[in-house]
Amino acid sequence: MLTRFRLELIACGIVFILGGITVLGAMEHAIGWGDEGPATGYFPFRLGIVLLVASVLIAMQALRNRAEMAGEVVLSHAGARRILGFFLPLVGYVALAQVLGLYVTTGLYLLVVTRWIGRHRWRTCVSVAVAVPVVSWFLFEVWFTVPLLKGPVEQWLGLA
Amino acid sequence: MSNLDSLLHGFTVALTFHHVLLMVAGVLLGILVGVLPGLGAPNGVTLLLPLTFSMDPVSAIILLTSTYWGALFGGSTTSILFNIPGEPSSVATTFDGYPMARAGRASEALTFAFMSAGFGALVGVVVITLLSGFVTSFALRFGPPEYFAVYLLAFCSFIAFGSGAPLKTLVSICLGFAFGAIGMDSVSGEMRLTFGLDDLIRGISFLVVVIGLFGIGEMLLTLEEGLEFRSVGGRLNPREVLAAIGRLPRYWLAMLRGSCVGVWMGITPGGPTAASFMSYGIAKRMSRRGSRFGTGEPEGVIAPETADHSAGTAAMLPMLALGIPGSATAAVMLGGLMIWGLNPGPMLFIDRADFVWGMIASMYLGNVVGVILVLATVPLFASMLSIPFTVIGPIIVTVCVVGAWTVASAPFDLWLVVVFGITGWGMKKLDYPIAPLILAMVIGDKAEDAFRQSMIMSQGSLGVLWASPLVATLSTLAVALLLVPVVSSFRARRRRFRPMEEAAPSE
Repeated sequence: MLTRFRLELIACGIVFILGGITVLGAMEHAIGWGDEGPATGYFPFRLGIVLLVASVLIAMQALRNRAEMAGEVVLSHAGARRILGFFLPLVGYVALAQVLGLYVTTGLYLLVVTRWIGRHRWRTCVSVAVAVPVVSWFLFEVWFTVPLLKGPVEQWLGLA
Repeated sequence: MSNLDSLLHGFTVALTFHHVLLMVAGVLLGILVGVLPGLGAPNGVTLLLPLTFSMDPVSAIILLTSTYWGALFGGSTTSILFNIPGEPSSVATTFDGYPMARAGRASEALTFAFMSAGFGALVGVVVITLLSGFVTSFALRFGPPEYFAVYLLAFCSFIAFGSGAPLKTLVSICLGFAFGAIGMDSVSGEMRLTFGLDDLIRGISFLVVVIGLFGIGEMLLTLEEGLEFRSVGGRLNPREVLAAIGRLPRYWLAMLRGSCVGVWMGITPGGPTAASFMSYGIAKRMSRRGSRFGTGEPEGVIAPETADHSAGTAAMLPMLALGIPGSATAAVMLGGLMIWGLNPGPMLFIDRADFVWGMIASMYLGNVVGVILVLATVPLFASMLSIPFTVIGPIIVTVCVVGAWTVASAPFDLWLVVVFGITGWGMKKLDYPIAPLILAMVIGDKAEDAFRQSMIMSQGSLGVLWASPLVATLSTLAVALLLVPVVSSFRARRRRFRPMEEAAPSE
C-alpha cells in the first residue's frame, strides 16, 4: 500500500537526484556569465539548482501536511497487482524487442498478455497476436515505408 | 478585407481532393484515438507525427489538426455513453452527459455535444481569422528579445493560470528544460548533460516523452482502476438527432458564453481542460436551471463542450503567431512545425501565408466534416468498446511502443517510453502538470537561444528586454504574472476556500 505522503517524498527524491545530475552535468562546462551573455552551462546549472530547491520545498510542504497525506492511499494492493501485471510484461516486451525486433516481440507480448492476464480463449489470443504484427507490417513497411526494428527471425525469413 | 482574400486563398489550398481525404482520415483516426482510453489527443497526434515527416507541411498540419478535432469529438462520445472521459478535457461533459444518456436521452446528449462543439470550434476559427491579419502588423518588429519575452510570458502564464500547485508546475517546467537541454548546445556546439552516453547525444525527443507520459502513463492509471465499460447503448435515433438540432438555438446564451470562455482560455495558455471546467462552473452559477446541473441538464453538456472546442481551435493562433501552444496537443504540433522546417512566429504569416491560411481554412472544413462524421460513426466506435479492455489495452501499448520507434528508429527510445510511462503515472497521482513539461521540452532550446542571442546583441545587458515598448510590455506582463500565485495564495489563506481549482485536473 502506498500513501500519498510516501509517493510525494519519493517524487521529491527523484527530482532532487535529477537536479543534482543536472548541476553536475552543467559543471562540465563554463557556468558563468561570459562577455557575450550566459555560457553553455549557465542555464542547466541554474535549472539544477531550482530543481534541488523546489524538491526540498515540496518535501517540506508534504511534511507539513503529513497527517492528511498519510491517510490518502494512492495505490492499493489490488491496484499495485494490476499495474505490475501490466508493467512487467511491458518491460519484458521492450527488453526482448532490442534482440528480436518489434514484429516478433509484439506478437509474443500480445499473446502472453491476452492469454495470462486477460484469460481469453486461445483462439482470440492467437488471432490478435498474429493480426497486429501483420497489419503493422503492411502499414509501416509497405504503406508509410518506415522500417521497424527487425531481428533474426525476419532475417531468416528473408524479409529484412 | 485582406483577411477575407487570404482566407479565400486558403480555401483553394485546403479544398483539394487530397487534403479533404486527409481531413476525413484525420477525423476518423482522431475519433478512434479519442474513444479509446489511454490514447488521447496529444498522444494520437504524437503517434502520427513521424509519419508526416515526408509530407508537405500543409498536408501534414491538416492531418494533425483534423486528428485533434476528431479526438475532441471522440472524447465527448465516451464521456456521454460510458461515463469515461476519453480526453481530460471532456471530464466536465460526463457531469450532465452521462445522466442524460442513462435517462434514455443519449441521442439528444450526443447531438447537443457535437453541435455545440462544432459551434464553439467555428467561433474559435472566426476569432483566429480576424486576429491573424493583426499578427502580421507587428511581425517585422520581432527579434530575439521579443521572442524570448514571449516564451517567458508562456511559462509565467503556466505558473499563474495552471491548475497545478505553482511549485510543481515550476518543477515540471525545469525538468522539461533539463530534458530539452540534453544533447548538442546549438549556440556553442558543445555536448551538454550527455555524460558520455552515446544514446543521449541525439537528445531526448519530446515525442517519445509524450508517448510515455500520456500513452503508457494513462494506460497505467486506467488499468489500476480495473476498468470496465458499462455502456448505455450507442444507437443514434435520426429523428431525435434532428429534433435536438432544432432545439439547439434555445441554448444560444450558453453556447456564446462557452465560446467566450473557450477562446480566452485557448489564446492565453489555459488549455481546453481548464476551459471546459470553467465554462461548466460559470454556466452552473449563471443558468436559471443551475441547481439542476448534474442530473442531466442539456446546458451542462453544451457549456463545457463549446468551451472545450473553442479553446482547442483558438489555441492554434498563439501557437502559429508566437510559438506559444495553448494546450499539450498544440505543443506537439508546434514541435511538428519545427521538424517540418517552419519557424513559428509572426514571420510565418508573411513567409508562409499559404501554410497559415491553408491551415485556417482547413479548420473551418475540418470541424464541419468532424460533426458529420462523428454523428455518422458513433454507433460503430461505441461498439468498439465492447471489446474487452484486456485485448484493447495491450494493442494500444504495442501502438505506443511502435510509435516511439518511428520517431527516430532508436532502440533506446523504447526504454525511455517505459521510464516516462511510470513517470506519467506518478505525475498524475501527485498533480504535477504534464503540459508545461512538454512545452518546456519543445521550446526550451529556442527560448535559450533567443535569450543568448539577445544577450549577444546587448553585450550581456538585461536591459534589452525592456528596450522597446513592445518587448517591455511583454516582459513586464510576464513578471507580473509570476505574482499571481503569490497574490492568490494570500487571498486563499484569507478565505481558505477554492472551489474551482480543485475540480480541474491538470492536462
